[in-house]
Amino acid sequence: MMISKIIASLALSVFFLTASSIPALAGATEGKKAFEAKKCGQCHQSEGPAREKTIKDQLAKKGPELWYAGSKFAPAFLDKWLADPRPIRPLEYNSLTKKNAGNHPKLSSADAIDVAAYLMTLRSADVKDGAIQPRDNPKGRAIFIKKQACYGCHEVTVRGNKAGGLSGPALTGASKRLNPDWVYAYMTKPRIFKPVKDMPDYTGYINDAEMKDLSAYVGSLD
Amino acid sequence: MTKKTNKKALLAAFAAFSLFLSATTGASAATAEENYKFYCAQCHGLEGRGDGVNATENQPVSPRDHTSAREMEKLTDEDIINSITDGGPSTSKSSLMPPFGKTLSKSEISELKTYLRKLCKCKGK
Repeated sequence: MMISKIIASLALSVFFLTASSIPALAGATEGKKAFEAKKCGQCHQSEGPAREKTIKDQLAKKGPELWYAGSKFAPAFLDKWLADPRPIRPLEYNSLTKKNAGNHPKLSSADAIDVAAYLMTLRSADVKDGAIQPRDNPKGRAIFIKKQACYGCHEVTVRGNKAGGLSGPALTGASKRLNPDWVYAYMTKPRIFKPVKDMPDYTGYINDAEMKDLSAYVGSLD
Repeated sequence: MTKKTNKKALLAAFAAFSLFLSATTGASAATAEENYKFYCAQCHGLEGRGDGVNATENQPVSPRDHTSAREMEKLTDEDIINSITDGGPSTSKSSLMPPFGKTLSKSEISELKTYLRKLCKCKGK
């Protein structure tokens, strides 16, 4: 009697586990179809590895590569952003003169959920999950503000006021947008993700412990 | 062989040689101007006047105007190379000038120094 009860409850939990994972998988499959139907690939590379070798290759790209989107973005970010896209970069992608017009196509809520589910399956083996916890910390802040002055290119919000440069993606709201494990991987292995980029390669200038503090700090920025 | 065909053969050989040269030097080598407009222009501006998009009002220091002979004469060629390689603090300047020593090769940095001297039409002290 006892054994049959245990078997029944096990069967029930297996059923629930399977049932709850089906929508996510179905979403990713549908999302891939929507990504292709909407021709998102015309601007966004969805299969790695990085292909660009020269400045010309980078400048020919129309939008950020997404082949490691599942490692880069925070879990609940993409579906909201795709349904209500607001500029992340103050300037148009690859431009140093044109303001970001904020004209990224807007998806329906259903499509946004599916496409986000698909993009979150695009993961990079070079990002180690769970190694960096977002944390406002004095060492990370000192690197960001003093040692390497990251704000020179990345706009941040300090006490409600926007400050900093405009050429890089803004880091206002990074805590909701980015996975700090990816920030660490991007900083320590920059050529894997973007072999040609206008941000300098900081390896050798910021040591590993500092990279961890800095990534935790960036992951905490609101 | 006539004189005319001789000339043609010479031209063809020259064309083949130029093609070979451009192939061996590689399409990947960026010119100093390309590097300047990709990396430096973010702060120093596309024309080098210190008016790039990162030169916003709230920055604590302004990027150097590379077209100003008065400003650029103060720097030796070595200062320029050190500053590009290891960032502003290597020449007691702001860390807003980042290090490019791991991004650009030594020869690319040296070519950028020459490019800056053309922009300011000046020499170092």
